[in-house]
Amino acid sequence: MKCTIQHDLPGRLRVHLCCGRMTLSQADVLEYYLLAVEGVESVKVYDRTQDAVVVYNGVRGRVLRALAAFSFAKAERMELVPEHTSRALNREFEDKLAVTVMCRCLSRLFLPLPITSALAVLRSAKYIREGLLALRHRKLSVAVLDGTAVAVSILRGDYNTAGSVMFMLRLGEILEEWTHKKSVADLASAMSLKVDKVWLRAEGTEVLTDVRSVRPGDHIVIRTGGMIPLDGKVVEGEAMVNQSSLTGESMPVAKRPGSPVYAGTVAEEGECVISVEKASGSGRYDRVVQMIEESEKLKSTAEDKAARMADRLVPYTLGGTALTYLVTRNVTKMLAVLMVDFSCALKLAIPIAVLSAMRESAGYHISVKGGRFLEAMAKADTIVFDKTGTLTYATPTVAAIVPFGGQQEAEMLRLAACLEEHYPHSMANAVVEEAKRRGLSHEEYHSQVQYVVAHGISSMVEEKKVIIGSAHFVFEDEGCRVPEGEQEKFDAIPAAYSHLYLCIDGVLAAVLCIHDPLRREAREAVKALHDSGFSNVVMMTGDNRRTAESVSREVGVDAFYAEVLPEDKAAFIRAEKAKGHTVIMVGDGVNDSPALSEADAGIAISTGAAIAREIADITIASENLFELVILRRLSQALMGRIHGSYRFIVGFNLSLIALGVAGILPPTTSALLHNGSTLGISLKNMTDLLDEDTAAQT
Amino acid sequence: MDMKKIGLFAAGVLFGTAGLKVLGSKDAKKVYAQTTAAALRAKDSVMTTVTAVREGADDIYAEAQAINDQRAQAEAESVIEDTSGEAEESKAE
Repeated sequence: MKCTIQHDLPGRLRVHLCCGRMTLSQADVLEYYLLAVEGVESVKVYDRTQDAVVVYNGVRGRVLRALAAFSFAKAERMELVPEHTSRALNREFEDKLAVTVMCRCLSRLFLPLPITSALAVLRSAKYIREGLLALRHRKLSVAVLDGTAVAVSILRGDYNTAGSVMFMLRLGEILEEWTHKKSVADLASAMSLKVDKVWLRAEGTEVLTDVRSVRPGDHIVIRTGGMIPLDGKVVEGEAMVNQSSLTGESMPVAKRPGSPVYAGTVAEEGECVISVEKASGSGRYDRVVQMIEESEKLKSTAEDKAARMADRLVPYTLGGTALTYLVTRNVTKMLAVLMVDFSCALKLAIPIAVLSAMRESAGYHISVKGGRFLEAMAKADTIVFDKTGTLTYATPTVAAIVPFGGQQEAEMLRLAACLEEHYPHSMANAVVEEAKRRGLSHEEYHSQVQYVVAHGISSMVEEKKVIIGSAHFVFEDEGCRVPEGEQEKFDAIPAAYSHLYLCIDGVLAAVLCIHDPLRREAREAVKALHDSGFSNVVMMTGDNRRTAESVSREVGVDAFYAEVLPEDKAAFIRAEKAKGHTVIMVGDGVNDSPALSEADAGIAISTGAAIAREIADITIASENLFELVILRRLSQALMGRIHGSYRFIVGFNLSLIALGVAGILPPTTSALLHNGSTLGISLKNMTDLLDEDTAAQT
Repeated sequence: MDMKKIGLFAAGVLFGTAGLKVLGSKDAKKVYAQTTAAALRAKDSVMTTVTAVREGADDIYAEAQAINDQRAQAEAESVIEDTSGEAEESKAE
């Protein structure tokens, strides 16, 4: 497309697209097209002016060529844009704000006094009614104060003050709604991520199928840790389903034949066959939005506190007003107290700070499901890592296969892959990948998986019971044994690897050594976490003790727990919480889900299992552990900002009241100062918390 | 009862019948639509101007940062590094 360069700096380019009008969706198409260009760091598209700002660190020519080759139709076919973007939402609220401000300016400039007064009276009815309603419910809330302030101003004939009070309240309402809608939309689009493949049961066998080709009436199989991708009814089996993504209730619900299951929920344990009722793509996103709105998962306790605090201040303000009148017998001084209303400042500035922090964290590929998790992140002193996939790379590999009892290596790998295929865990993926790499097909084996528990899988293959899993599961729970005369060989298996044990009919058949290398930055990141105030960094793993010990020494964690079961992880977190600690859990897999929901804030590394993403409060899309440090800094900065705003608002307004009562400031001036300071602090709270340098350092 | 009052009364009757008709008529609605459209256009043009100003401000900010980066770099380049320690070390070897 033809473009003109408007502004050109090394690494930054602003171009104007000669395309006439640009719609919102076209702007999205352009933005995501440019983001996909190699070397481009960030893109901002302004549809109103048809301009795009591109920040890049690669070759300038590449950006220019990409722009020249761009066309809306072509880029649209590339399907780069996610299903939902927040552009339309932001536009709606920007417009609302702009219209409100413009109307206010215009009416003050041009409309004659009688008309503005009449309008003020009309609009005041709403606030007075709400105040009366609150009184009728015997609540002395902010609404009462708002109503009183508006009513008194109107009764005194001071329409101007009434107008500006209502204007500020209206702005606050719009911003609050924006905060809410935006966080819901972000959360929902994170949650409506698609599961691409499902196990479709057809003619007795299970086939891995694209979810889009599933039709109503088809039977799909869901196992432990799997997300239920479509609405349907259980026809066979039993599973404990976690519906927290829909209901906010973290206790799993038992689903038996006949029970309905909903898209977006996750099977925590068990296995069931579902008869699909609705094909994919029927308004899942909207349903998720609706359900989140119903559950009050979002409110930050800081926001809550602000609202409660504002409510608590009401009696004092009213009392102060009455007292001032009684002592001074001066209506002007009395109004000075009444006009300084803490509520709108608190209600405006703090949600804005939270929203802006959530927006900022999204910029670092961190999606946060609510303000209170940022609060937990700021306050936490204990952080628990599940080793695999978080401290180590998410893609472990099979390093060696040690067969026992005269079994063939390749044959054992084939068998292991056949079982592990059903289990969404990075170790399992490693086995399946290795089999694929060696060209071992295992379709003919398609077996009836009996059950899957957190630490292993049991199945029947050719009339024999085959199990695979951890040492604990295989030797203690299932009572398998090492073949005669091979104990020495068994002991000699290198400890540096994680192990998977495969047994056939109760006899060990092979040990798969899984190489799970530590992340390059793990050590540094743990150190940075210590520096940022975590006093207790804990590593948990299902691996054997020796492996865990060597890893923990290498990473520098304060404590480690080896051979733990999922329940143990959750129990540990519960115990730490009972001791008064605030605990963060970082995990990626199925077996972390109880711990993730138990923690004050559960963080999922998003390459992990669907269930971890669903249950986690915070999702990190990046492959870098330093994101945790950034998140920590960001949330601490946010809490600092919230407390700072708090002290400022209360302090500043108290001095306004004092000056008003002393007769130094007339009510209109104090109202002006009050509103001005509110606006100022709200604008300040919209700015980024971390500057680029601090982010780059981490 | 003077003529003025009668006139006012007549005007009221006229407005109450024909006037309301005119205000609710198709043509009047067209006028309203046009006025609203003009208002919306005005709003859009204000918003476009705001966006343009914002872009300009961003450009200036980015340029200012680039200037400071350049200065810092120039300053760093104008310093001659102290290599006395290295020279002695190489002598010692």
